[in-house]
Amino acid sequence: MAEYKAVRVEAGRGGWGGPLTIKPTDDRKLIYSVTGGGIHPVAQRIAELTGGEAFDGFKSSAPFDKIAVAVIDCGGTARVGVYPMKKVPTVDVHATSPAGPLAMFIKEDIFVSGVAPENVKEA
Amino acid sequence: MTLPQTRYATTVTAVGEQVPEFAGQGLLIWFAEGAPEELHFFAVLHRPTVTTGGVRAGDVVRIDDKAFRVTAVGEVANDNMVNLGHMDLKANGATEAPLPGDICLEELPLPEPRPGTELVIEGDAAAADAHR
Repeated sequence: MAEYKAVRVEAGRGGWGGPLTIKPTDDRKLIYSVTGGGIHPVAQRIAELTGGEAFDGFKSSAPFDKIAVAVIDCGGTARVGVYPMKKVPTVDVHATSPAGPLAMFIKEDIFVSGVAPENVKEA
Repeated sequence: MTLPQTRYATTVTAVGEQVPEFAGQGLLIWFAEGAPEELHFFAVLHRPTVTTGGVRAGDVVRIDDKAFRVTAVGEVANDNMVNLGHMDLKANGATEAPLPGDICLEELPLPEPRPGTELVIEGDAAAADAHR
């Protein structure tokens, strides 16, 4: 059994939602980065602080029930809604607010945006 | 004299089940093949051949035989397009992008892409987005 720690993720400059507390478990240990250019520094920091496993969603796929948090670099329309719709806590590195066709799923208790590495702190 | 430059070119490989509905609302969401499966249901999946980027207002998006003038480009749209093959095409005629990922087009009915549909974005070579 691995030891996991919790982090608190706050909205960054111009961001919306949160704060979210993220604590991986053995069942849900993936820090799922759905971003351009590999694992995003925000996902890397969450993984380092929690003991979760950084995972590149564009390299291979993972079932939703293994994901502790999804980190996205969404411009506001598509990815912002998909992971909240699946009840996966979602961190957007861009400062977006609820919008797009899935906006109704984007709530403060499951989504936070504008997040930079310094907005991720030990809980 | 100005030279046209192809900023992006790609061929559709698959179309998600929600795409016709979104197209009817003036929205086409694109991702390159290899995007995570959870994004497929609302996306046009495609295999790009030109990924130069630098799309800006005034460029032209061609989807098969239909052409759309670009009216505005959000600040992260080019990064998304180049890195992930991701585009949010919105036929809303906006002259300022409402969302950072938007590529806004003139307000005309969008076609429903099908496997084999070709998309090309062209613009003036001298006027590529200076941020790229």
